[in-house]
Amino acid sequence: MQAIYRLGWFVGLLLVQVLVLNHIHVGEYATPFLYTYFLLILDADTSRAKMLLWGFLLGLLIDIFGNTPGLNASAATFLALVRNPLLRSQTMRDVADDFTPSVRTMGFSPFARYVVAGVFLHILFLQLLDAFSFARWMPLLWKVLTDTAATLVCVAGVEMMRRKR
Amino acid sequence: MRNLINFLLKYNYWLLFFLLQAASFLLLFRFNSYQGSVFFTSANYVSGIVYGWTSSVSEYFGLRSLNSDLVRRNVALEIEVERLSKELAHYKADTLAESRLRTNAPGNYRIYDARVINNSIVRTDNYITLDRGTADSIRPEMGVVCGNGVVGIVYKTSAHYSVVLSVLNSKSSISCKIKRTDYFGSLYWDGGSSRYAYVKDMPRHSEFELGDTVITSGHSAVFPEGIPIGVVDDMADSHDGLSYKLKVRLFTDFARLSDVRVISSAGLEERTELEDSALPQKKN
Repeated sequence: MQAIYRLGWFVGLLLVQVLVLNHIHVGEYATPFLYTYFLLILDADTSRAKMLLWGFLLGLLIDIFGNTPGLNASAATFLALVRNPLLRSQTMRDVADDFTPSVRTMGFSPFARYVVAGVFLHILFLQLLDAFSFARWMPLLWKVLTDTAATLVCVAGVEMMRRKR
Repeated sequence: MRNLINFLLKYNYWLLFFLLQAASFLLLFRFNSYQGSVFFTSANYVSGIVYGWTSSVSEYFGLRSLNSDLVRRNVALEIEVERLSKELAHYKADTLAESRLRTNAPGNYRIYDARVINNSIVRTDNYITLDRGTADSIRPEMGVVCGNGVVGIVYKTSAHYSVVLSVLNSKSSISCKIKRTDYFGSLYWDGGSSRYAYVKDMPRHSEFELGDTVITSGHSAVFPEGIPIGVVDDMADSHDGLSYKLKVRLFTDFARLSDVRVISSAGLEERTELEDSALPQKKN
């Protein structure tokens, strides 16, 4: 059951990303990268190797649809690597290990800090790799910030929808 | 030895991480050199079908077929007009040339319709996916245009889909010229706005004014002469000061691309082969 649920999120976020969000560029900049939400809400006790494989697979599929071979795969793998330490840094010591990260299980501000940091690191890595030089660093910085903001808006939206149910 | 094994077991995810990063980077930087790399693009079978579905959902009603026909006619007429006006100019200048022109009139272009099923405009390297492939006689290196102007060059093809190197791609370079004065240069894009591209290598002595139209030059075998590209919006010196760099406002609105034509010239392969054998390294 858990596996089907997880697969549903995987396919759903993949399709939403490649069919809708990849085509959104508010003011030619802000593009939401909501697919990272899948990696952020994987169970806290997911092993790091498993995280990496999920990240790579998801990124690679996004790449295949978006004609950016390797780009999202690399960035998502990076996020998968840093997720566990990031999550641990925002949780209380006395919380059990096997929870699903969300506002309900973590409390609002630790979860918010965790999501903001994760999303920002992922997009920073992604855009640096895409630009691959600092020659035009102003647009790059602007792109990272607007993308992060757009992604956070989407994550907040999804979180709210899940809370309502 | 046991310590080493323990170490590897404990930190195996680092190994995995570097392995996966290596795979990603391989894809990222060696993408172009793989023959089979069409599999890793949106021209592969599954993603092609998914994009086909969604674009057929997003098609709007009866306007599509009407629009499609208009664009086809427009492109065909544009090529025709340019050819005829050239012919007429020659005819006026030299009556003897008329018979020669008639024998080798450039009419060897075939035009295929295609629909854009995926498109991007804000990356450094943008690609467009079309719903036609090798089964519809589309081959790499063919030119792609829309009703307003140049779109790009076919880059990779699978049986039923193809990926187009958009003008909005750092790897794209299209031979072009000023329509009024025939001075030529090459069109490229270096990121930024999707409405503007640049013409470089425009000689210092060339004549042009802001507002002049830029068209394809016909020097590259990919596009016939006279496909409109854009309007000169601004000018500057190139870095080395030896030529001008023109800022061109593109006619094609890449953000709203849907119906395009793929242009195939009959002599394309022969000409490319000849040019390749003459130059040890061909730039575009």
